[in-house]
Amino acid sequence: MKAKKDRLKHLKENYPFLIMLLPAVIVVFLFSYLPIYGILIAFQDFMPGDKIFSDTTIWVGWNNFKRFFTDVQFWPLMKNTFLLCIEGFLIGFPLPILVALMLNALKGRKGAKYLQTIFTAPHFISLVVLVGMLQLFFGRYGLVNNIAANLGAERYSYFLESSAFRPLYILSSNWQDFGWSAVIYIAALSNVDPQQHEAAIMDGASRLQRIRYVDFPAILPMVSVMLIMSIGGLMGVGYEKALLMQTDGNLGVSELIATYVYKRGLTGVPDQAYATAIGLFNSVINVILLIIANKTSKKFSENSLW
Amino acid sequence: MKKAVSILVLGAMVLSLTACGGKDAKEEGVQVEQLVSEYGFQWTDTKAPILNEKGAQEISFNVYSSKNASALDYNDMKIMQDLYESTNVNVSWENVSESVYSQQKNLILGNAANRPDAIYHAGMGAGEIIKYAKRNVLLPISDYLEYMPNFSKILEERPDIKSQLINVEDGKIYSLPRIEEMGLLQNPNILFLNKEWAKKAIEAGAVTGVSVADLKDGINLTSSQMEAMLRYFKENDMNGNGDANDERPMNFVYNNWQGNQCDLYGMFGLNDNLEHRIIVDGKVSYTIMDDRFKEATNFIANWVTQGLIDKVSFEQSQDNFLANGKGLEIYGAFYWWESETVVSNPEHYIVCNPLIGPNGDQTVCVSNNPEVSTGEVIIFNDCPNVEVLLAYFDRYYDPEISAQINYGPIGIVYEEEKDEKGMLVQKELPAGMTTDELRLQNAPLGIIYLSDYAWNNVVHMEPRAKLRVERLTAYATPFVPEGVKPCTNLQFSLDELNTLSNYETNLNDYVRTNLIKWLTKGGVSDSEWESFQKDLNGKVNLPEVQKVYQDAYDRYGSK
Repeated sequence: MKAKKDRLKHLKENYPFLIMLLPAVIVVFLFSYLPIYGILIAFQDFMPGDKIFSDTTIWVGWNNFKRFFTDVQFWPLMKNTFLLCIEGFLIGFPLPILVALMLNALKGRKGAKYLQTIFTAPHFISLVVLVGMLQLFFGRYGLVNNIAANLGAERYSYFLESSAFRPLYILSSNWQDFGWSAVIYIAALSNVDPQQHEAAIMDGASRLQRIRYVDFPAILPMVSVMLIMSIGGLMGVGYEKALLMQTDGNLGVSELIATYVYKRGLTGVPDQAYATAIGLFNSVINVILLIIANKTSKKFSENSLW
Repeated sequence: MKKAVSILVLGAMVLSLTACGGKDAKEEGVQVEQLVSEYGFQWTDTKAPILNEKGAQEISFNVYSSKNASALDYNDMKIMQDLYESTNVNVSWENVSESVYSQQKNLILGNAANRPDAIYHAGMGAGEIIKYAKRNVLLPISDYLEYMPNFSKILEERPDIKSQLINVEDGKIYSLPRIEEMGLLQNPNILFLNKEWAKKAIEAGAVTGVSVADLKDGINLTSSQMEAMLRYFKENDMNGNGDANDERPMNFVYNNWQGNQCDLYGMFGLNDNLEHRIIVDGKVSYTIMDDRFKEATNFIANWVTQGLIDKVSFEQSQDNFLANGKGLEIYGAFYWWESETVVSNPEHYIVCNPLIGPNGDQTVCVSNNPEVSTGEVIIFNDCPNVEVLLAYFDRYYDPEISAQINYGPIGIVYEEEKDEKGMLVQKELPAGMTTDELRLQNAPLGIIYLSDYAWNNVVHMEPRAKLRVERLTAYATPFVPEGVKPCTNLQFSLDELNTLSNYETNLNDYVRTNLIKWLTKGGVSDSEWESFQKDLNGKVNLPEVQKVYQDAYDRYGSK
């Protein structure tokens, strides 16, 4: 009884803040929760215009999923998506942390600011332009090949060789985003008490030791939260860039779950139900990864999402 | 994707909520008798107005259409206004750009409460039409043929077109086609050769069996002569800029709808195309199942390895290919639709006959690009007074209207006066505009019927099209063996469509990944070829896809 009273009182005290929160809750509900009923399409034989709930709805149960699991593309798709994401993660996760630590350790504040701006800028290039740049630089008659040819090497078709797809994709993505991702760590580092550094200097700590024992522990909670979140989104790679970079030559490694969903759902004889089923399957994997990451993190450190 | 679909669905829901109550009683259709008595509806005289003044004011249609970026709004187009004048049928056009349409197509079809009356430039595939027809979304146009004298005449005269349109499940027609028969599409490539370079190669003694005098349109070259010539192009500084390495001997755009690699397979007697599917003596056959395909692939791959075919041909886009042809001459030979758009000095290039292969074969690519595009206009089942709309669209199939729909109206593109043979006469171009610009601005394109009759009696082909037809009749069509036909628009049953959607994407991907690997990496070994054949028959289920096409083709042929 008392607890209830407390809660009411609590609500009364905070109602202006709750009202301020309301728009965000409504937006999230409308655009993230309400549309979830659309996944029912995955269990239907669906055409746009069909009602999702009506007498005429054709329910097919798990058929779309069965089709996907027996599809010859199933294992190649899983492998391509997984490898691309895991390799991207292994390079892309530590990189911003290192950059943030280094920028923070720079003596000249002004220089650090300049560098940070330069590192952040590529984030704002649109994907289409980025892939256009890749084609200009790495095309058969692009900058890289022209330099190589002038040095006497053979021209190399980066866009036709399947082995070049993943490095090109991952490195360009990281080039685009490492500065942006570093911002959050830089913010965390700016909260480190200067007195700790002064004390460390008094104790004779070298610059590396200060990074290791003062800066890094300060951002560790942030690192573990980011780690959980990026593991949760591990298989959630977007289709746009892979699709833009796709050629017949690299199709073997560049066909991802996301691009396959796009092709099945929106091109040719569109099969939205099948595409939804694949997308749902992908999301389920993501949720499982997220839960595992969260559990593990809870066990080894104090940090977790929930 | 799931998210995107859900958002779309939500969007459709929200839209449909706001749109409720949009249709009032006035928009409900009236009986044909009432149309005739009250609004003067008539459809038999295809030159007279369809409705009277009252009808012009009270009956209107809302048609949704994509348009190309440089076209005027269809409501402002002269040809549309002329059509209103002559028919009294009031159509208000809702134009969106092509890219917006491709995003919104499913939304429009999905928005059951507030659909337009029809979609122009609908771009509906056979699969979509059959599925929506089954759900009673689309109007069975064939039930209303009496109101469409021009269109029914086409169907009567051309059973082949009719059978490309008829839905297999119920035998009805659900879309209006675009028919532009110039005979340009069946053979999408022409081989052009740089005659100045070829002359130097011959004079240097690099090529045997050809003399300089042979260097004119229609030259016959064997594959070994071509190979020698290309090698000479590669090794020498042909364009004289001091760099012997910037020449690109043979060029094309890999797997493009035109100017592609398929003609090269003609050296081995294969009429290849991008789908590798072709009709030979009434049988649907796949070139990739033919052992000659292996031979040809190895032969072409050898040219690639030697650098005679520039590897950039496999990765460049059409735009890159066209841009590189301008300025400094670097193309020795290339496959394209025409030479004029590719290089800045087309007079240096001659048209070759198809190359003669090592075993004496000489044939070309036969593409499956159809000259009849089905699904160009669809009409929704709930459209009121649909008889009037159909009688109006029927006018588009009148040859004189078709010409104006396709190229631009009388008064802007054509003179009011016709020439002595009754043909439309091109007006002088306004200053600062090209033919293409004027056409794109003033012609809606879309549903037309331009065929032999129109080319002989109503409108001249464009000069460029005419030149291409002449070239094709001389240097391509004669090399297509008898009995070989393209496998164009076919109609499938729902079961067949399911088979196709299950297997076809994977089949295409499988073939594409292997083919480019072979072509760019030195060819295919016997064991690779064997396992490829095994996979075609097993893993990717080619025989089932083939059977679907065969059944569909048998139905098409039997009508």
